[in-house]
Amino acid sequence: MNHDTPDDPDTTPCAYTDYREGEAVEELPATGDDATGLEADVWETLYEIEDPEMPISIVDLGLIYGVDVEDGVATVDMTLTYSGCPARDMLTTEVEESVVALEDVDDVELRLVWSPEWTVEMVTDEGEDDLREFGLSV
Amino acid sequence: MSGFDSSADLDDEQATALESLLLRLADDEFVLAERYTEWQVRAPSLESDLALSNNAQDELGHARLWYDVLEDLGHEEHELIYERDPDEWRHSTLTERPFDEGDWADVVLRHYLYDVAEQLRLESLAESSYAKIADRVGKVRSEEQYHREHAESWMERLADGDEGHERLQNAVDRLFPHALTLFEVAAPTSGTGDASGDEPRAVDDDLEETIVEAGFRDASLEALRAEWLSIVVPYLEDLDLETPVSEIVHYDDYDLEVPDDTLPEALGRDGTHTDAWAKLHEEFTHTYRELERSEATTIMAHPE
Repeated sequence: MNHDTPDDPDTTPCAYTDYREGEAVEELPATGDDATGLEADVWETLYEIEDPEMPISIVDLGLIYGVDVEDGVATVDMTLTYSGCPARDMLTTEVEESVVALEDVDDVELRLVWSPEWTVEMVTDEGEDDLREFGLSV
Repeated sequence: MSGFDSSADLDDEQATALESLLLRLADDEFVLAERYTEWQVRAPSLESDLALSNNAQDELGHARLWYDVLEDLGHEEHELIYERDPDEWRHSTLTERPFDEGDWADVVLRHYLYDVAEQLRLESLAESSYAKIADRVGKVRSEEQYHREHAESWMERLADGDEGHERLQNAVDRLFPHALTLFEVAAPTSGTGDASGDEPRAVDDDLEETIVEAGFRDASLEALRAEWLSIVVPYLEDLDLETPVSEIVHYDDYDLEVPDDTLPEALGRDGTHTDAWAKLHEEFTHTYRELERSEATTIMAHPE
């Protein structure tokens, strides 16, 4: 390894220490706080699922955009923080299996949606507390 | 312009045109990412290694978003990536070219030429009449926005030194013709239309017309190419890099003219590819075939 490289006088610190906040979207984050019956049960189940890398519920992280149950079929609209998310299959499988395991839910349709795009603004207040406790600055 | 909420609203011609547009998008991103990953643990610094690996991950994520839209048209992701005949791929030859060992200038220039084109292309899809495309462009653009900046910072750094400049010029000589294929008209795949057999498909100008008429993309390839040239040619000139393009001045206006013989023999978009493609395709499909798969595995089929 060559250690003789002279200091470059033009070197500047990394310009990207500033994480953009993103636009707030009305109606989001969705938390299901006004859901009743079976839909409330689905939300409760989703609350128990955590992000694979951080101790935060995927609902508080703002990944769930909507839940609808009709005739025993639950439809979950969900996004991911990043299109190249390596935990994608792990997360979607966990959501599907947890929801379909509910009594009275016969089937689940998980729809991955990409609009509006996820930003840090989608994290709930509780989620921000969880992330701060984990050591992230949000 | 009326929109299309699902593939059920499309007639046959529109479905073929949409498929063609999506294959160009997805295949470009996938193949470029495959090449980028060859630099993992080989880039000139830890930062550049991480940055390029991250670009590769972005492009794979985007490829996946577009292959997923292709599922609307009856395809499946694993079939498109691992089972499709290499002649049915529609990426530009720019994305498939191999690297000479350690030729960092090559990947930097490729990255620059591609990402300028990618920005313009995504802009032209932002208002796409096919709802699922428009819905995904925002996410993709937000993830792409650092790509061009990253490429430019490396372009300028390399152009500043004698060896770097020479390597960049060699890369321009090699890659510029391939970059032009980004804007070439595609040929439909063999599964579509009324033609059959194993003959290479003729490029189809009607297909391109339908793409614009149906509002899937709001700029023609010709317009995208002109815009791309107006950005990259002056930029390369400022770095003292010569391109095959000449400026034709008319009073206070000028045109950029690309000599007709600049395009490479294989255009990618029409299903013809350079020799390097067969080997790359063989590499990334090897394990799938060796294990006699008929579907792609997921990370965790049954999480405990």
